[in-house]
Amino acid sequence: MVELPSATRATDIALDELELVYAFIYARVGNRADAEDLTQQVAMKAIPRLRQGAPASAIRGYLFATARSVLGAFWSMRLGISQAELHEDLALAVPQGPASDEAAERAQRILAGLSDNYRRVLELRFLHGYSLKEVAAEMRSTVGAVKVMQLRALRAAAKVDTDA
Amino acid sequence: MPEKPENRVERIVSDLLRGRRLRLRAGDAEEKEAITAAARFAAASQGPQRMSPAFRRRLADILESTPRETWLTRRAAMIAGLGVAAGALAGGFVGRSLEPGRGAALRAPSSPVLPENGQWTDVGALADFRDGSGKLVKAGAVGAFVFRRGESVSAVSSMCSHLPCELWWEGKSGLLECPCHPVSFTADGKPSSASYTLPDLNEVKARVTDAGRVEVLGT
Repeated sequence: MVELPSATRATDIALDELELVYAFIYARVGNRADAEDLTQQVAMKAIPRLRQGAPASAIRGYLFATARSVLGAFWSMRLGISQAELHEDLALAVPQGPASDEAAERAQRILAGLSDNYRRVLELRFLHGYSLKEVAAEMRSTVGAVKVMQLRALRAAAKVDTDA
Repeated sequence: MPEKPENRVERIVSDLLRGRRLRLRAGDAEEKEAITAAARFAAASQGPQRMSPAFRRRLADILESTPRETWLTRRAAMIAGLGVAAGALAGGFVGRSLEPGRGAALRAPSSPVLPENGQWTDVGALADFRDGSGKLVKAGAVGAFVFRRGESVSAVSSMCSHLPCELWWEGKSGLLECPCHPVSFTADGKPSSASYTLPDLNEVKARVTDAGRVEVLGT
């Protein structure tokens, strides 16, 4: 007879897997409140599967498939467009280990593919936390021009990301 | 006047850099590539993320309770005063039916919020309310936006009529905006866009007392 894991043990396994889901979602929405809401949605959708007490390896694929579907619905609903129109590439590989610095590594890869000015504005704004005014002072430009450059840099970053 | 794309994206970048939730508006989809890239850069700037102990405990509670116990209806959330988390929660269950404007149920008229054993709650002096501007108040478990018109007041539920997400007052547009999807409502609770056929916001009973105090019917 196979011994089923206790509820607590099954919960612990599920929570460890959901840590990976949370990091995956956070890396795509960039804020805690949305990441928590979406991770909770994934957990709830996956409850029947999680309760079977399946091993971590068996539920990870299912959780990430659910996470991709939940993220697709999130962007689609927030932007008011169909999922087919989404730019976001959600068909990504399932992480094999604990939360990594995937988001930072990916950002560095994208930054490396941008022109100097675009890279600089995004580094200052996002990685160093500069305000628009501070970026303008650093780049000897105006706030208005920096805003436009930031928009163009983000558009270019999205293109580098897609092409990668 | 339409919002300039650079201002549109800066508003979202600024929110993300302050750790705020993504609050998108109608028209933001035009910059969807830049917005999703901004979200990724914001995440990258904060390093690897782990769940907070409080959130982990909440998930453990959910996993160990039955799904039905955690399934919140919009009305239950409205009465309980819950916000966006409940919206996401309900969203997980109803899937495609989240899209507004489809199905007769969404066009059903909204009824006033009449809590069982409800009581009038003082939410401030009439002088504290600016004419034509929405002010969020809590009357026990009932959340409402109160609007002053001269010497009288009216109120609508602070919960979107579609998802259980708490609205916010956008002074520039003079509309109540929903953080969960690109819809907004006028001060009298009517949806502002013809393309999103949502029911009106639920009315919340409000009055001004002889002493010049504003009261809302809550719990």
